[in-house]
This record gives sequence, structure tokens and C-alpha cells, in this order.
Amino acid sequence: MRMRPIVETDIDELQALARETGVGFTSLPDNREFLAARIASTVSAFEERTPVDQRLYFFVLEDEETGRLAGCCAIEGQVGRETPFYHYRLGTLAHSSVQLDLHRTIDTLFLSSDHTGDAEVASLFLRPEYRGGDPRHQRNGAMLSMMRWLFMAEFRDRFPEKVLAEMRGVFDERGRSPFWECLGSHFFPLDFDEADKLTGLGQKSFIGELMPKFPIYTPFLSEEARACIGQVHEHTRPALAMLKKQGLRWEGYIDIFDGGPTVEAYIDDVRGVRLSRRCRVEVKAGTLEATPRPRWLAATTGMAGFRAAWLGRGPDEQGVVTLDEGEARRLEVASGDTLRILDTEEEA
Amino acid sequence: MLVIRPVRPADLPSLERLAGSATPRLTNLPAHRDRLEERIARSQRAFASDIDAPGDEHYIFVLEDLERGEVAGTATIRAQAGAREAYYTYRQETLIHASQQLDVRREVPTLALSHEVSDATLLCALSLDPRYKGTSAESLLRRARLMFISQYPERFADLLAMAFPGYLDGQGESPFWNSVGRHFFVRDYQEINYFAGVRSKSFVAEVMPQFPLYLALLTPQARAAIGREHPDHETAMNEMLAEGFLRSRHVDIFDAGPVIKGERERLASFRRAAWHPVRIRPAHALPDAEPAMIANQRLADFRCVVARYALSPTGQLMLSPEHAELLGVEEGRAVLAAPLALPGADADEPGYDEGEL
Repeated sequence: MRMRPIVETDIDELQALARETGVGFTSLPDNREFLAARIASTVSAFEERTPVDQRLYFFVLEDEETGRLAGCCAIEGQVGRETPFYHYRLGTLAHSSVQLDLHRTIDTLFLSSDHTGDAEVASLFLRPEYRGGDPRHQRNGAMLSMMRWLFMAEFRDRFPEKVLAEMRGVFDERGRSPFWECLGSHFFPLDFDEADKLTGLGQKSFIGELMPKFPIYTPFLSEEARACIGQVHEHTRPALAMLKKQGLRWEGYIDIFDGGPTVEAYIDDVRGVRLSRRCRVEVKAGTLEATPRPRWLAATTGMAGFRAAWLGRGPDEQGVVTLDEGEARRLEVASGDTLRILDTEEEA
Repeated sequence: MLVIRPVRPADLPSLERLAGSATPRLTNLPAHRDRLEERIARSQRAFASDIDAPGDEHYIFVLEDLERGEVAGTATIRAQAGAREAYYTYRQETLIHASQQLDVRREVPTLALSHEVSDATLLCALSLDPRYKGTSAESLLRRARLMFISQYPERFADLLAMAFPGYLDGQGESPFWNSVGRHFFVRDYQEINYFAGVRSKSFVAEVMPQFPLYLALLTPQARAAIGREHPDHETAMNEMLAEGFLRSRHVDIFDAGPVIKGERERLASFRRAAWHPVRIRPAHALPDAEPAMIANQRLADFRCVVARYALSPTGQLMLSPEHAELLGVEEGRAVLAAPLALPGADADEPGYDEGEL
């Protein structure tokens, strides 16, 4: 299994992935034209033909044995540059009066575009059959999530100060978002799926045009809607846990549609960015022994032909990492090349 | 015989009784002896002072029934609604949210806190003994204040406002308060209303949500209560609309009761009030004529009664000796008179505000 930038010929497989993602996954709509544009945008980004603030880096997880795509993930160079990027910020207003012997704090949602210009890690999806089970598929999800930190560390100057990730919010058993029902539905003449779809397609101007611009006092929302604020869909919990382990934190920003949390960090503070190291490669013939559980994540250091994969072992004290032929082929490196390596189990 | 006159210290027990019997309870008339006593003293100062511009004065009037020897009602003028503190209202506003992309246009109603009514003169704190409901005494109590303002225009603003008690349900609960204020105070409506009356309404207003409220997020019961007067005040509302007041975009911040406004020059009682010299005739010798409010030309000894608008061919107003004595006028002195009946009072189409307030 290895990660690489998406290419034009992946379109059919990508669309198949998009079909599997389902509601609440805005960035991967089942729309061929849109997906083709995403691929074209990625190709241009990796060739460094697009300005850094408009780049999309879209990666796929490839099963080299079958040629199938097992999953995908992406990095947006900067959000909110072409279309506005909205959140609600959960803030606190004190309502206090000495005369009334009253002191209360009221949770309030403020419309915000505070994240304009930040990088975003997004679009992570792993096909169910590639989640654990088969030892060959151990830690595929972790690779998808963490290889982005190696990429950002290697090409640090292409990225801004901060990074964020939007997590999918809570939906009930009928696939309805209580947060949307209570708030968004009053302002948008669409159902959640339609609104969500338009957002995924990047047609976001309606949000700015129709949404409430004044702060929303949360006591006016239903109990079910309030319970969604900053909460993730149960399927999203592992992904959130992984980001939190890297140092991303919820600072009170939520999705305007489903109330799901947005987590964020300064890129330089992210564990994978801080702790990954460049190492010199030495390739040995044959097959080498590997850790039973993937631990060392490696990424190449060139923008064009970028690859990432698990390695069976870490570097030695001189900073030299030894690869067997299979690993070298997978990463398309030879002795004397450089790899960026992260020990995913090292204490931060 | 019924007469309107300024309040006196001896009226305190009556005022307390009227405050307690007002339905619903009025913020501006708390049933609290010390507060009422202060208010009486404050009113006496206002009537006794030389004033050339509206300020923090309260003028309290009572309706006295001389036969029964009791005070049957009270009403107040606050020269400036928000003289020392801001006078808070919610202003009903409409935002247009339009999307070209979706080809939709939505009207989004909101309530925004406003201080706009602060400069108006406020007619408030009216409570009438229920036995007098529906009589000319009710109109007299309500509108004698206009006769006073018309004589002392420098003491009041050009714009008059009235806040009607809002809709309460069968249990005396305000659906609007329960959907809005309660979240911020965790107290019931009657409790906060009493506090506001005894202490200060602006203390409360300062803790109310400062950002506009989206009506879509309020309960349907709360939305239905916005701008709706308490059922017991519908007659009063209709009379003031006939007088020339208009419904405004403003509603009370507690119960969403309507605030109406009237420019002095457009009110029927101002436009139709006229000065006449007095001629005293025995009651049995007075010709039949329509009822009118008749006021003397005094400040601290202001009096206003309902009597027949009987004019002599030379334009003198003919009064009985009893009425003349009540008003404290002698033959030849001038009185101000305005018909009690209002033009188009039975037309049931209320005017609606097109202006700013």
C-alpha cells in the first residue's frame, strides 16, 4: 500500500469512492465533472503551476497488487480565498447584573470567517475492506491521516501558519441533522443533502446570502440541536482522535450546517511536522525484517512523484534508513536518496 | 361628579389599591408603598417646577369621584420615556436574504433592541377601578393627559408614545417572556415585571440579549404574542388609534406588547381643542350638547371634567355652577374644551405606522 498524488486516470476509481462516502462528506460529491476538476487542480498543484494560496493536493491510497484505490485524503493550501469559508464560533456572553443578583453566561454562535487563509486537511476516506482486518491493511487510516504532516513538513513554505480539519457532525438514525433542522432549515429553502451537495461542489455563495448574520443565542435552539454543537458523528471519532493526538484542538468553531467541530493547530506545532526527520536511504537486496505493526512512516522529498508508505524499520543513529527492494520500489527511491521519516509511536 | 386632578400625598392608599388591581400588573405602577410614595413626591415636584424642556418629570393624575369620595383611577405622563436611563424596546425589523444562485428571496423577521423611543413622552401607568370601565370616566382618565400636554407643550416632546400590556395566557404567563427573557433570567414574568417596576426596567434591559433575535427561533406562541395587546386593553387601544396614534414597529422587551406613537399635531384632541370664555348657567337651563373634556388653565391645580359642549351664540362655553366650581373658574375665565367622541372611532381599520418609529 502506498500514497501518491491523484492522476487523471484515477477518475473512475475516485467516483466509485465518492459514491461510498455518503451524507455529510461534503468534499467528495458524486459528480464526475467536479471530481475531474479536482484532479486537474491537483495535477497543476503538484507541478507547482498554481499559486500557493489556491492549491489542492489530493492524495490516493493505492493497492499496488490490484491497482485499486483504497482511500484518499487531501490538503487545501488555503481555504476561503476564492469562496468565503464560514464557521460558527461558539462564544460566551456574560449576562450579569449586580442589581438583579444575576450572573449567567450564555453560549452564543457567532458567524465567522476567521479561518480564511488557513490550510485544511480534508477528504479522508478509507474503503471499509481496507480498514484493519488483513495484516496487510494495518494502519491504513493512520497513514492517510499522517502522511499529510510529512508532506506539509517537507514543503513547509507552501503552507500558511495554521491548519484545520472539519469533522462530520451528528446525524440521527434517519440521517437527519438535528442542528440543521433547528437552525439552517429556517434560513435555507433546501434540505440538508441539497445544501450539503452545493457546498461540496464549491457553490457556496448561497450560504453567505441566506444565513443568519447576527449571533445566535443557543438557548433559542432545541435541546437536540444544542447537543450537536461540537460533537462528531460516531464514525468520525477515530479520525478525530488521530488529529487530536497530533495536537489539533477544538477551539469552539463548528460547521454551520451540522454543528460538527473544526479542530485546528499551528502547523509548526503539529506533532508529525515537528518530529519528522530527513534520512538518507540505503537499499538492501532481498526482503528485510519489519516491525509487526507499522510504526515508521516515510515520504519522499520531491513534489513531483511524491510517495508515502510504511517502512519496516526506522533510521540508525547516523540517520540512515535501510529499505528492502520492495519498499524502495514502492517509494521509487534508490540508495543515496532522501526520505522524510516519522516515528509514529515516539512520545511527543 | 368626576374630576381629574394631580395626585396628592393623601392619595397613597388609593394608588396602592389601584396598582394592585391593575390587570395585568403594570411595570410603571408597582404595588409597592415606598415606591408609590416617592412617585407622588416626584409628581408634586414636577407640577411645582418651572420647566422649559421635557426631562425626568413624572406627572401623576387621579380620577376622583366626589360623590363616593374616593379615587377611582390614576394615569401618568412621563415627560421623557428614557430621561435618566434608556427606554428599551424591541424593534421589529425585516432583513431580506436573497440568493441569486438559488433564485430565492426570503424575508427574515428579527427583533432588535432599540432606544429610539427614549425621547418620546410616555403616557403610562393607567389603572381604573373596574366599576368605571366603559363609562366616559375611562376616556376622561386616558385622555385628560392630552388636555394637559396641549396646555404645556414646552414640558413635553412632540412625539407621544404608549406601551400597552402584552398578551398573557390563561395562567397569566407571557409566552414571549417564556421564549425570550426567561432564558436570560431564569425568573418568571410576574417576578421580573415587579422587579422592573420597583427598581428599574433598564437594569433588566441591560441583561437582555443585545443582538437581534431571529423570530424563526422563537416558539410559535411567542411569535403570535408579538405586538398583541392584552385582551383587557383592546378597547383602550382602539380609542387611542381613533385619537390618531399609530401602531409602531416597537414592542415591549418583556411581553412584546405593542408600543403606539402619536405626533401631537395629528391627534384629534389637540387639533380640536379650543379655548372658550366661561358663562355660568344653572344646570337645568343648559342646552343639550355633545360631551366634551373641559380643562382649566392651571398647572398645579389642573382640573379636567366631562361636561356638555354647550356654546352660546357668541362662543361662550356654558357651564353649570357645580362644574365651574370643580374647575375653579369664574364667569369670563377661559377653559379648554375638546369633544369626547372621536372622529371615526368606530372605523375598525387601524392606522399602521409608515414612519420611522
